[in-house]
Amino acid sequence: MPMLTAGEIQILATSLSVALWAIVCSLPLAIAVAYALSRPRLPGKSVLDALSHMPLVLPPVLVGYLLLLAFGVRGPVGGFLDRVLHIRLVFTPAGAAVATAVMCFPLMVRAIRLSFEAMDWRLFEAAAVLRASAWDRFVSLALPMAGPGVLAGAVTAFAAALGEFGAVITFASNVEGKTQTLPLAIYSALQVPGGEERALRLAAMSIALAVIGLAAGEFLQRWARRRAEG
Amino acid sequence: MSASVLSADLRVRRGGFELAAKFELPMSGITAVFGPSGAGKSMLLSAIAGLAKLEQGRVAIGDEVLEDVAGKVRVPPSRRGVGVVFQDARLFPHLSVRGNLEYAAKRAPEPRGGIEEIAATFDLADKLDRPVHNLSGGEKARVALARAMLSRSRLLLLDEPFASLDGARRRAYLKLIMDVSAQSALPMIVVTHQIEDAAELADRVLAVREGQLVASGDAEAVMESAALRGLLDARDVGARLPAGMLSAAAQGAKGVWVRADNVLLASEEPRGLSARNVWPGEVSAMETEADGSILVTLRLGQGYILSRITRAAADELRLGVGGRAWAVVKAHAI
Repeated sequence: MPMLTAGEIQILATSLSVALWAIVCSLPLAIAVAYALSRPRLPGKSVLDALSHMPLVLPPVLVGYLLLLAFGVRGPVGGFLDRVLHIRLVFTPAGAAVATAVMCFPLMVRAIRLSFEAMDWRLFEAAAVLRASAWDRFVSLALPMAGPGVLAGAVTAFAAALGEFGAVITFASNVEGKTQTLPLAIYSALQVPGGEERALRLAAMSIALAVIGLAAGEFLQRWARRRAEG
Repeated sequence: MSASVLSADLRVRRGGFELAAKFELPMSGITAVFGPSGAGKSMLLSAIAGLAKLEQGRVAIGDEVLEDVAGKVRVPPSRRGVGVVFQDARLFPHLSVRGNLEYAAKRAPEPRGGIEEIAATFDLADKLDRPVHNLSGGEKARVALARAMLSRSRLLLLDEPFASLDGARRRAYLKLIMDVSAQSALPMIVVTHQIEDAAELADRVLAVREGQLVASGDAEAVMESAALRGLLDARDVGARLPAGMLSAAAQGAKGVWVRADNVLLASEEPRGLSARNVWPGEVSAMETEADGSILVTLRLGQGYILSRITRAAADELRLGVGGRAWAVVKAHAI
């Protein structure tokens, strides 16, 4: 396969940066929600659980549309961001990252929650009677013990983030050089006559990235399991 | 001193099980919580440590209220200063032995540290940098106790400390606990379902059955009580002798439990015996048990001993209340 063209490198860079920002920025919230959901007795647990799964069951186009309503310049949140902080998300790379983050959130929470749930909760009682407060227990026990699992969840979510389409195109549009990620570029290529070759090259790139991402996720997952088993 | 008494009047519920207990314990020495499995002993520890929420009642050390349901006070476990050594050790798997000890030392009130010293005393010095998962049961128990000690609690709770140890390792751990108790002046509450643990360790005993406190007080008095007898299996029935009376008693033990099945009776002073523990006494009671055997109580110069013999043997020895007899105990039976 010939070397990548400048345009393809641009698309690749946009894809990677959108996915990276999406995962990095939503990771702390995903960890917090996953930790909360893994606690056996949490008030309002089923509501939080349902909410965090919403993006998984809603049509991605609808998620993009809801984001438009909320974060559009005339939306309640978007209006505030625009007037007060002069930040616009609609039709920007940041907006693409927000849409991607929302879509990948359930996947990330699920993976991270599994590693929190695999921990032995009786250890937290042991830490409590050694004078560790709730926050201390989270930092000194939960995070280090679940760390590899958290990382594995993030990498898997990153691989999925590279493929986000519906919500991104609806909320951030398909602007070449700004919000055009790999799947959006494939879609554009297919819209023009004679674009098959371009589409195929992009598809090959997409598949290669997905394989690398999945393999890395799987590797980390195994490492996490080995560590947990001691 | 105001901080010298642990007082509790509490009710805890978990699932369908309910525990209710009211007691006061001096904050010194070792108290055994004794009772059969499922009596609620561990739940009592959880309630004191704050790991189980009270349904009703109050727990306090001196004037300091740890939990009071009516007064809506609940100090979290991390701020009670009450340490726990769990039955299953609960060492942190992602840390080494040293890491586990440091975890406790870092969070303890000043003066912190002393890891090297305690590792030497607890025979862990050469294991400090080992991961915890390949320690033996006895080593895990010692790390758990060392970790709890480094936390510098004002009260230490131990849940079935000998459950996973047997023979020599149980002896060694028992001695370690008693040494620590004697040297550190750290009051301890030890949960056990083995009557010999209670006899050897305890200054005081709380006897628990089906979620109720059935007896409490000095070890000597409680262990003689009918309430405690009611908690024992037939084969465990016996008497607590002061440790000094027995040649085979563990070093530092406060008493020894001698099972009635391990005590022979003689109507004349025995001669030419290999047994070292022979005492004269006066028969003060003879009870016929359900299976027809006879439980003889023999008053000794100091305390008393129980012996279980057959009806035929009792007739042959012509034993009667008020009569004289000798009790013989084989040291290895203890």
